[in-house]
Amino acid sequence: MTQALSLRPATKIAIAVVAALALMPFVSEGYVLSNWRDVMLLALFALSLDLFWGKTGILSFGHATFFGLGAYGMAITTTRFGIDPAWASLAGLGFGVGLAVLVAALVGYFMIYGGVRGAYFTIVTLAMTIVANNIAIGWSSVTGGDSGLIGVPPFQAFGVTFSSPVMSFWLVLCILALCLFGTTRVMNGRTGLVLTAIRDSEVKAETLGYRTPLILLATFVASAAMAALAGAIYATGTGFVAPDMIALLLSTEVIIWVAVGGSGSLIGAVIGTVVVWHLQQKISSISIAAWPIAIGSFFILLVLVFPKGLPDFALSLWRRFKSGKGGQA
Amino acid sequence: MADYIPFVLNALTLISILMVVSMGLAIIFGLMNVINLAHGEFITIGAFTLVAVQAAGGSFWLALLIAPMVGFVIGLVLERLLIARVYADPLHAILATWGLSLIIQQVLQLVFGAAPQPVTGPFPGSVDLFGASYPAYRLFLIAVSLAIFAATVILFRKTRFGLDLRASIQSSEMASVMGIDPARINARAFAFGAALAALAGVLLAPLTSVTAYMGVNYLARSFFVVLVGGAGSVGGVAAGSGLIGGLETFLSYQIPATMAQALVLIMAVVILRFRPKGIVPA
Repeated sequence: MTQALSLRPATKIAIAVVAALALMPFVSEGYVLSNWRDVMLLALFALSLDLFWGKTGILSFGHATFFGLGAYGMAITTTRFGIDPAWASLAGLGFGVGLAVLVAALVGYFMIYGGVRGAYFTIVTLAMTIVANNIAIGWSSVTGGDSGLIGVPPFQAFGVTFSSPVMSFWLVLCILALCLFGTTRVMNGRTGLVLTAIRDSEVKAETLGYRTPLILLATFVASAAMAALAGAIYATGTGFVAPDMIALLLSTEVIIWVAVGGSGSLIGAVIGTVVVWHLQQKISSISIAAWPIAIGSFFILLVLVFPKGLPDFALSLWRRFKSGKGGQA
Repeated sequence: MADYIPFVLNALTLISILMVVSMGLAIIFGLMNVINLAHGEFITIGAFTLVAVQAAGGSFWLALLIAPMVGFVIGLVLERLLIARVYADPLHAILATWGLSLIIQQVLQLVFGAAPQPVTGPFPGSVDLFGASYPAYRLFLIAVSLAIFAATVILFRKTRFGLDLRASIQSSEMASVMGIDPARINARAFAFGAALAALAGVLLAPLTSVTAYMGVNYLARSFFVVLVGGAGSVGGVAAGSGLIGGLETFLSYQIPATMAQALVLIMAVVILRFRPKGIVPA
């Protein structure tokens, strides 16, 4: 029941966030704007994880695989195949997202239909990322190995080239807004309710006649496709791909972005990404080694101090503070 | 005949080391249902113990003796401080142990630097075996690993600790009713698993490049050993190690090593589809 009540404020916050982001091109430009474009793509990536983890309660440790497949699919298609530049970006997008969908469907089918849930699922997806990273480094004739691939052209479709920071910013904002409102709408509706039912008790949902493995698999594949979309556009923005776009650390970071925003709220994933990304810039500027230690400490804190997520923790602190004052009066 | 001997021995090297590494993981997983993502770091800790001991002028044998103790103590402390608090929720256990793993990696890298560490193993030469020449150290590694595994099995079957452990794996509640303190057995089992991983780390160090991240590659493999073999059973660890180690070695003769790893992963996922409880369920 609380789900239905809390959704409306979430939608309001989502509108406010998108509106605030839309003001960005009017107050900043160039490098800053490009940074914001990249952050929004990472936020889209976080949204894709939240779509699966937040809604089904099953944690995927392998979402960087899908992000990376999108990025590498785009880079390989646009730099190696000699396709007409006017259509190369769309072909790359299709190839990257297609690869991710294929991998997610295959791995997801065997695991979800095999009854693999919870912690086992997490482990298998974690191993998937390790293997994907090994392939990205090892198969250097195709992926460029350790140094990756450079020269990915800016996104180009239907005669429009999104090469300037302003143009690419608007492109990404539109994609993010579409995905955010689209998923929020779907999750507010029947699909979201069925997913909530599966998360609470898969056996009950199955007894009620829902083909739960199919629904879980569809959510997993949709989530992977969104992650790959983010990765593919990210590659056109930065102009290169490298093995750290398909690595375990990225899988880890995206979990933090979602956890900070509170998993399951969708817009929380976007806000969490923006907050943590800026924090990361600050911490990394002190020392590069400090960032993984900060992530590690955050995970331990998350579990020991605020197991229900950061927003919930802040909210309960606030309530205790308020009721404490009320009690004294 | 002589052509096959290096292949068989290579497979045995990987299989035997996987058996030692996965044993600790299987115990922890079978007993507490905790997926310990920091398990790989105990391998690294073992290897770095060797680095530290040799840098201080000590021998390989001294490190082989000290490393399990270091692993045991660190395991015991971490279990008490952190792991014991996350048993209730598998997801929390994953996040907390993963956080731990990141911290240990970075601390090791800060202390020792990012470059691969120099270590030397004993027995530098090769021996002739049925007409094939094979590194002596690898033969030693296979023998020691199998001995460690056998010793663990005996510990499981013949000692009071093993009995308590097996009872707790079957039913923690029932065991505690019979007077086995679950907190105590959990802590000791976790530390024991950490000690085994550290021991494996020393044995592995002369064969691979010793860096702060060396544990990660064995982490994924040993998880597949436990998942494919069956959690919480000694037979499962042996079967899983044989399958994963044998398959990977065989495939890496035919195709690039990275592709072999990917194929092993795919096969492990397919096996999980049809035998969700592993080949040898507990």
